[in-house]
Amino acid sequence: MAQPVVSLQHLQKRFGHFQALKDVTLTVNAGEVFGFIGPNGAGKSTTIRTLLGILKKSGGEATIFGKDVWQDAVWIHKRLAYVPGDVYLWPNLSGGEVIDFLLKLNGQRHSAATDALIQDFALDVTKKCRTYSKGNRQKVALIAAFSTAADLYIFDEPTSGLDPLMEAVFQKHVRALKTAGKSVLLSSHILSEVERMCDRIGIIRAGEVIETGSLADMRHLSRTQIKVTTSQDPSAIQQLAAVHGFTQTGSQISFAVDSEQLNTVLTALTPLGIQQLQSTPPTLEDLFLRYYHQQEAQS
Amino acid sequence: MMTHNANVGQLLHLNLRRDWLKLALWLIGLVGLMGGAAAKFNGLYGTQTAMRSIITTLKAPAMVSLLGPFTAAQPYTVAGIYAAEMMVFMGLFVAMMNIYFAIHATRQDEDSGLVELVRAHATGRNAPLTAAILELLLLNLTAGILEALSLQVSGMHGMTTVGNWLFGAGLAAFGLMFGAFSLLWAQLADTSRDATMMSYVWLGSLFIARMATDVQAPEATWLTVYGWIEKLDIYATDQWLPVGLMLAVTVVLGVLTLAVTQNRDVGAGLLPQRKGRQGASVWLNSPLALIARLERTSTLIWLFGLGILGATYGSIFGTAGDLLTSNPTMAKLIGTAATHAANRTIVLAFTNKLAVIFVILATLPGLSTLLRINADERKGYFEALHARNVSRTRLYASIAVYGLLVAVLAFFCGMVGMIAAGQAVMPHAPTVSHLMRAFWGYVPALIVVYGLGACLVGLLPRWQSVIWIWPAYGFFSLYLGSLLDLPQWATRLTPYGWINNVPVAQVQWPTAAWMTLLGLGLILCGGCAYANRDLMVN
Ligand SMILES: Nc1ncnc2c1ncn2[C@@H]1O[C@H](COP(=O)(O)OP(=O)(O)O)[C@@H](O)[C@H]1O
Ligand SMILES: [Mg+2]
Repeated sequence: MAQPVVSLQHLQKRFGHFQALKDVTLTVNAGEVFGFIGPNGAGKSTTIRTLLGILKKSGGEATIFGKDVWQDAVWIHKRLAYVPGDVYLWPNLSGGEVIDFLLKLNGQRHSAATDALIQDFALDVTKKCRTYSKGNRQKVALIAAFSTAADLYIFDEPTSGLDPLMEAVFQKHVRALKTAGKSVLLSSHILSEVERMCDRIGIIRAGEVIETGSLADMRHLSRTQIKVTTSQDPSAIQQLAAVHGFTQTGSQISFAVDSEQLNTVLTALTPLGIQQLQSTPPTLEDLFLRYYHQQEAQS
Repeated sequence: MMTHNANVGQLLHLNLRRDWLKLALWLIGLVGLMGGAAAKFNGLYGTQTAMRSIITTLKAPAMVSLLGPFTAAQPYTVAGIYAAEMMVFMGLFVAMMNIYFAIHATRQDEDSGLVELVRAHATGRNAPLTAAILELLLLNLTAGILEALSLQVSGMHGMTTVGNWLFGAGLAAFGLMFGAFSLLWAQLADTSRDATMMSYVWLGSLFIARMATDVQAPEATWLTVYGWIEKLDIYATDQWLPVGLMLAVTVVLGVLTLAVTQNRDVGAGLLPQRKGRQGASVWLNSPLALIARLERTSTLIWLFGLGILGATYGSIFGTAGDLLTSNPTMAKLIGTAATHAANRTIVLAFTNKLAVIFVILATLPGLSTLLRINADERKGYFEALHARNVSRTRLYASIAVYGLLVAVLAFFCGMVGMIAAGQAVMPHAPTVSHLMRAFWGYVPALIVVYGLGACLVGLLPRWQSVIWIWPAYGFFSLYLGSLLDLPQWATRLTPYGWINNVPVAQVQWPTAAWMTLLGLGLILCGGCAYANRDLMVN
């Protein structure tokens, strides 16, 4: 099997007495989009900063392209592009200046692709960075990263300041990277966002990676919330094994269903005459809840 | 009006709670300096001989340029000497204190987004500004009262109660006036950094104008604003007019500031902003180029400013080194050749004092650049940079080298300005290479202080601001130290005090060599520590 692009083995990071990363183990393979999800404060940014050699690990192994992230930081950075979670830029430089400068540091130039990206993200590059909103600063970093020719792209909560329209633009460009065979590591605290783009995900909580795998692998952990109104009495649905937390008010019922059993339940619903159907994708919290229920059940 | 200032009391309370330590430290420093010096003066200048000799010194043009004119009339008193020595100097400190708090309470809070949060609550449009004004009022009032009281209890010979209170009131009004200037600049400037820069350019210009007029046209000192503080004539005729003038200017500035602030957006200045560049210029392609681009304006101001300061001091060489006019009896006694030699000696001794001022001032832009390593890191500006093809060593080296270069160059500009102007106005002036001894002598001290700063940056990033103590104390100990008769160990606490009396004496090359090596070693040390630690995130 080909060498993984990013490999973390039992990575640890302490800040004084506080252990921010306890055990982070994950790999990102070549050509895959890896989603790194966890709630706020779980250690996503800390992991990424350790990967970039901004922070020094306290234990474990961390390599990118097979090289140590601390020792060979500069070598690695020649083949990598990164967008921080909170982008701050020198207030007296213009967005255009920053983009060009960041490109030049990696020996690259402002190209037609850069101009296209600026168009796509609808950024006024002649404005001073001082006047940019959080989303606009993020755009500057995204444009610089997307127009860098690299092998690995790292995004730390890239859409936290973007509006839905720009989020779509971002997703489009990530897909383009994937098509081009690049590897992407993307952190987020929103499961649905990661779900749409990622091949595999890793879930981090309180400094520990508790689960990695493809989303399909994790279906057993996730439940979709369904709210449905039918023309006939739907109470029979309650009997299905995949249905949980069933409540009924008149002809409206709501319940959670194991994601992999969705088809079975919908098949049972259809003959009842669906008048209104609303499904809410599983959230990260649901995933955690399920995960811990399972752990308890096992022990 | 009331709604414009809603909740101002709460805001003031918050500001004071946040700043209390800084306020207390400034007050202790100022009052301690005033009272401490006053208590020491009886011992220093208690005898008639001591008094006569210091008065001759103070009347020399060189000293007038440094400390202001000596205007007291006979019979001389210790208190009269004290007022002459301390006034201009204390004024400088008080002005700096007010600039700091004025900018801190206005634009710095805006830059950090604090004002946005405050204004979203039920606070009036002008409330942050009014709170800043009140904070300055309170600060200066307290400072003035404490200064006057410290003089009262000092037991200095020849002091009067009226003089003591005038001293306190004068400094308070002076400080308030410079605070008010800064509040106005804060409305115009784009960022707090720019507002601070404008404030210091203004203070520096007035100070230079004061110095030039004091030596060459004392009447014109009235026009320099800064010179008003000298016209108080404390412990002699005790003039209250300058206090009134300063307060009047303060009120006018305050009204103006309140008027223009109405037309200003939070976080922006009134001066028109140019549009930014479409892309980066060709040479903006390395960390070194970046730091040069970021520091461009400030570097130019420092180099130019020190050049002007040097030239202004140099232009009084002719007057300073002119025994024929200032002491004709002595000149007649020792003959022409000897008089020229004596003139040169005076100028060389004066150059030593000036070199100390230049080198300490030149240290400031260097250190301020150096501290950006952590300051900009903490603001998150460098995060995107670290993921690029830039090693930490390269980033550190770029900033450290640029800062050191600017510091040395600024010192050089001061010296060159002084020498050029001095040579122009003084016949039989010391040679250029003779005067440049002061440059070669003091550069190593600059490098050591810079190296200490670099070590702090690398090893103790959270404590890096401590480095400002060295230039601040160095300035005090060497500018006033000889007049206050500080013991030798007290002047040796900073590297500036390790240098021998250049340019009067030869440069001690061995000392220069080991100090330079020490400084460079410290810079390397800081670099190693920086390359091997966590960066300052958040
Ligand atoms: N420099 C630091 N010093 C001390 N604690 C830190 C530092 N940086 C992060 N932490 C702590 O480490 C934990 C993980 O933070 P972070 O990686 O930023 O979380 P995330 O990005 O997943 O929201 C948090 O509890 C945070 O408070
Ligand atoms: Mg984060």
